[in-house]
Amino acid sequence: MIFEVIERSLRQPNRVIPVEALLGNCDGSRMPDVIASQLTPAISQKLVEVCPTAAFRIEECDGWACLKLSYGECIGCGKCFEPGEGAVVAAKSFTLCGNPKDQLVRVWDLERRTEIAPLRPEPGVVREQIHRLLGKALNVRQLDAGSCNGCEAEIAALTNPYYDLERFGIHFVASPKHADMLLVTGPVTRNMAEAVRATYEAVPAPKLVVAVGACGCSGGIFAGSHAVVGAVDAVIPVDGYVPGCPPTPAMLVTGILKVLRRRIAK
Amino acid sequence: MARVSKNQSSEAAIAPPMAKDGAIARLVTLFGSLGRNRDKRVHYVFDAGDPNYKEIILPAEAGIHSIALRVPAAAWYERELHDQYGVEIAGHPDLRPLIFHENWPDGVHPMVDAVESVPWSNREYRFLEVQGIGIAEVAVGPVHAGIIEPGHFRFSVVGDTVLNLELRHFYTHKGAEKLFEGRSCNQGTLIAESISGDNCFAHAVAYSQAVENACRIDIPPRASAIRLIGLELERLVSHISDVGGLCTDVGFSVAASYATRIKESLLQASSRCCNTRYWRGIAVPGGVRVDLDTGKLLELSREVAEAAREFSDLAKLILTTPSIQNRFETAGILRQDVARDLAVVGPVARASGMDLDVRRDHPYAPYDQVQFDVPVTHYGDVMARARIRVEEAAISARIIQEAVNGLPAGSVLASLDTLGELQGSSAVESPRGELYYWLEARDGRLTRCHVKSPSFQNWPAMPFAVAGNIIADFPLINKSFNLSYSGCDR
Ligand code: SF4
Ligand code: SF4
Repeated sequence: MIFEVIERSLRQPNRVIPVEALLGNCDGSRMPDVIASQLTPAISQKLVEVCPTAAFRIEECDGWACLKLSYGECIGCGKCFEPGEGAVVAAKSFTLCGNPKDQLVRVWDLERRTEIAPLRPEPGVVREQIHRLLGKALNVRQLDAGSCNGCEAEIAALTNPYYDLERFGIHFVASPKHADMLLVTGPVTRNMAEAVRATYEAVPAPKLVVAVGACGCSGGIFAGSHAVVGAVDAVIPVDGYVPGCPPTPAMLVTGILKVLRRRIAK
Repeated sequence: MARVSKNQSSEAAIAPPMAKDGAIARLVTLFGSLGRNRDKRVHYVFDAGDPNYKEIILPAEAGIHSIALRVPAAAWYERELHDQYGVEIAGHPDLRPLIFHENWPDGVHPMVDAVESVPWSNREYRFLEVQGIGIAEVAVGPVHAGIIEPGHFRFSVVGDTVLNLELRHFYTHKGAEKLFEGRSCNQGTLIAESISGDNCFAHAVAYSQAVENACRIDIPPRASAIRLIGLELERLVSHISDVGGLCTDVGFSVAASYATRIKESLLQASSRCCNTRYWRGIAVPGGVRVDLDTGKLLELSREVAEAAREFSDLAKLILTTPSIQNRFETAGILRQDVARDLAVVGPVARASGMDLDVRRDHPYAPYDQVQFDVPVTHYGDVMARARIRVEEAAISARIIQEAVNGLPAGSVLASLDTLGELQGSSAVESPRGELYYWLEARDGRLTRCHVKSPSFQNWPAMPFAVAGNIIADFPLINKSFNLSYSGCDR
């Protein structure tokens, strides 16, 4: 029996996805991207109307009408693609994972059809950097503050043979007392608020907190419910946000590494 | 229609209908709603063995009489009704708050009262106490070790043996049923998809079907074929994941890791086919939101065939490994009479000798055209639940192949007229079992949407399977039920 098991595992092909192919990848998340040159005020108006979570908004900035897309609120439902008439497409890559809250928003000038202060693409992380970042390994504790379990499923996928988070020295631990980082999913429900605070307290300093998913970032589809307190940052301080409903494993990897790099750069 | 009788006291009461075998019909769900004048009503839904469910509506302004002593499956539902609607329930053996915890003030019932700013409270909650010499209590949760959802388990043990397990759930209660109110029929799908993320497609389909039934329309054949592919794929992914999870819990990590790999290959295949790993945003009332490319579906079906072949090979290894057999067999037996009393559904029910499957018993398009077996066994242990899933996974893979090969052409979205007053319901066999939606809408806006989730139904049965086992087997038994916390808590 044991020989059969060993033989089988030896026969398994190596499936690990190289880190370069993970960073910035958002396949399967349906995060929207805006093609500025195609944008018109009429289309923008329609986007605002169809978006179920008000992730798209038209606001005035410096006297101009602008279209804002707040990724923390986006649930990737794809409802904006068709009315976008080519101005909204499924993003090919998505680099905002792990950003602080103010850098989850993109803004387009409707008059000039250009993006205002486009975010500079992050320098690509290379293997050596990751090893430098994680030379001493990172212990992560996942905390469900009230999620629908979609985000859990994707976090659990990080340990499968394709993503193999352990190769970076990132390890999921059973107790907050052993953790360097909390990955918090879900809107914080009333019934979980106290446990979320207590778990945060139990993590030794310096504690890193990553809010995961549209729910963790903004409350997502559950924002405003009487049974929900709010996004993760309504209850504990958050260092970085990973949008998506749910974020894909690649987006999670991107986000975790970015939060870590920011902390080390400090 | 049903018999409604008044009993001696002023509370209204129903007589549960009988099934053909002379036993009380299976309770599908029980929930509240408000009538035109905001008068409270209670809906009872039973399965008496006919293709249509039997719904009984009872006025509840003056309270109702509990049926929990005759129909134990009603116990949690009645507690929820008491919490959410403030319906007085006479004769219920245990009316402690279920959904709302210590932080919730007495006397606020979200489905009828204003909930804009509910004050925080600190009321009392008492666990059941098992008394006697040498009895210890073990409290676990709400935060668990591992990547799982929150819930509280209170064990009363003697040595290693569990005498009683009390569940305390609803930590992830998000007020979802209330959140549906006021949404357009189309947007309701997004909430349905987020009730239980790993079964999001089954929720989206059940919700959409309820809207379609309310509007009395049929969806195009291509749309129902695509839904069938998504539903069976979700079952396949879920069952592979569950069997792998069982291996994790007994430390068979090679097999566990193998299972996660097969699962991931299917998620990536979905992502390539429809740009979503879990089929979110596909089903909408009227059909499916976008058509899927036939070529891509063929590629998906090849991946499914490969995954199914690998999984059956893996399952053979798992189920014939003596140390696994030793852990799985006779662990966590759910007796058939308990399963019946608690109206358990899904693979858990089928592993305890209950022969039910919505796809066969209450068919919805296109299952009436599909031939398939419903595996049933009566051992009721962890092994039985594992075997049922292994068999069902193979059946799902075959159904997907056939559906892709016979995919009809044509449109995928029918238009809906949601004006006026609508009322509809629908059931789907989700990977965890019967999922039932009931909704009411006025001029395109939902006024009520109730979700009966298989997890809410099955959780109360789990402690019965745990009692008498050693506490170290709890994670394994719990995993073999694989219940969703969020699906239960909503
Ligand atoms: S994909 Fe995001 S931005 Fe587009 S409609 Fe959905 S939630 Fe709004
Ligand atoms: S972000 Fe989406 S997947 Fe994650 S918990 Fe919220 S609803 Fe579920």
